[in-house]
Amino acid sequence: MNRTDALIELDNVRKSFGDLPVLKGISMFVQKGEAVCIIGPSGSGKSTILRCINGLIPVDEGFVRVGEHRVHEMRSEKQMRTLRHQVAMVFQQYNLFPHRTALENIMMAPIQVLGHDRAEVEERARKLLKKVRLSEKAESYPGQLSGGQQQRVAIARALAMQPDVILFDEVTAALDPETVKDVLFAIRELVEEGLTCILVTHEMKFAREVSQRVCFTDHGLIVESAPPAELFDNPRDPRTREFLGQVL
Amino acid sequence: MIAGSMLSYEGKKRTVLLLIALGVAVWIGVDAAAGGAAHWNRVLVRLPLLLTGSVSGWPITGGFALNVILSIASMALATALGTMMGLATLARFGPIRVPAFLLMNFLRNSPWLVLLFATLYFLPFEMHVFGTTIPFPPFVKAVIGLALPTAANFSEVIRGAVQSIHSGQWEAARSLGYGTGQIYRHVIMPQALRRMIPGWTNLYALLMIATALATVTGIQDVLTILNTLLAMENERVIVYFYLTILFLFIAYCYPIAAVARWRERAVKGESL
Repeated sequence: MNRTDALIELDNVRKSFGDLPVLKGISMFVQKGEAVCIIGPSGSGKSTILRCINGLIPVDEGFVRVGEHRVHEMRSEKQMRTLRHQVAMVFQQYNLFPHRTALENIMMAPIQVLGHDRAEVEERARKLLKKVRLSEKAESYPGQLSGGQQQRVAIARALAMQPDVILFDEVTAALDPETVKDVLFAIRELVEEGLTCILVTHEMKFAREVSQRVCFTDHGLIVESAPPAELFDNPRDPRTREFLGQVL
Repeated sequence: MIAGSMLSYEGKKRTVLLLIALGVAVWIGVDAAAGGAAHWNRVLVRLPLLLTGSVSGWPITGGFALNVILSIASMALATALGTMMGLATLARFGPIRVPAFLLMNFLRNSPWLVLLFATLYFLPFEMHVFGTTIPFPPFVKAVIGLALPTAANFSEVIRGAVQSIHSGQWEAARSLGYGTGQIYRHVIMPQALRRMIPGWTNLYALLMIATALATVTGIQDVLTILNTLLAMENERVIVYFYLTILFLFIAYCYPIAAVARWRERAVKGESL
């Protein structure tokens, strides 16, 4: 059934928005427990890749598989739902639910979507808040939290679903510099615990330190994919060299 | 001039309103001294009748109280109908969305008085359904006739509130595995509801004003009673009666509009 033993597999994925081709044949594999960073200029399709993996954006062409789920074959929201229990996502704009407290934000989906027991979920949620160092903010509403705190709550919310994979979509891009490190610290812990992570990021230093592999995308293609030391120190493709020259 | 430039916009508005109120008060005072007091006296004698439909003020059989009851009943119906219509215009399924959209636009763009006449003549006096007789007295027709345009306007309030919720909320909820119905129930509606309150309140004030139209159905509302009553009064008193009615509506609706504005400011201040 599966072509490889990778947890996530994309093969020749294409996607256009109207006349604008965004992905022009993306192929990548992510092994279980691997942390993969996707870097590249704005508009190169990084965020779109993530959204194709959890089905938020349906692909036009190609093969997308997560575990047992063949995402490219799913046609309805209903079919996507079990996939999304397995794949969590953290967004650039946090997207916490503003009418619920931090704790409730974390507890909502496991109770309402997975049907887990409330008491058990609350225990899990409080543990997760402790993990992201926000125990004292359990009763705060998102509007009362700083960007970095909101983003850590969003990470805890994603973890509460007990996913196999977490997708991070430029999660520090909207944050003040001083709060970035708290968020990166939380993500680093997850990677070290062996959770499969795909991170779209502009934090090159972080990408280098935390990931096992870095993919460089440009104009809808993965130009180069290599372990961070190799990609950052000896980029083979001229486009990678040019990009790294600009950002480093 | 100097004082005017120092005032804020709100301050200027308040000053102008105060001056107008003062002008009206002075005019009433001067007029009362010049013989208007006798006319006001006539109004005062009739006030219980205008307010409640009974000469002594009790029991309530009509008058301004009936306008209030009509507005509340009509708003309740409009809220129920408008919610259904609003959700239908948001549906992704075309055969539900398109008819709802057409109906909503038809009702929203028809004169209220015409809709009222339409319900008056289209609805039968009573209806027989499975052996039971449902009567449609003029009051019920007035409730329905006024609820239709209000419902259409309310459905737009709902649609606007739902669509004003940031798309990231949808994305986040979908990525957590929520279904569309669940997203509305747990994520979108609780947030949209707060944003609907100002529009809903505003609409209620409008509906209350529009209840004056219901006089065409023949119910004993404040205008019907006034018309009957004026036949027995001196012609010169008419303007005093109309001023009184005007004041009744303003006194009821202005605080509601003020509450709506206050809520609007409160909602504006909220950030995601």
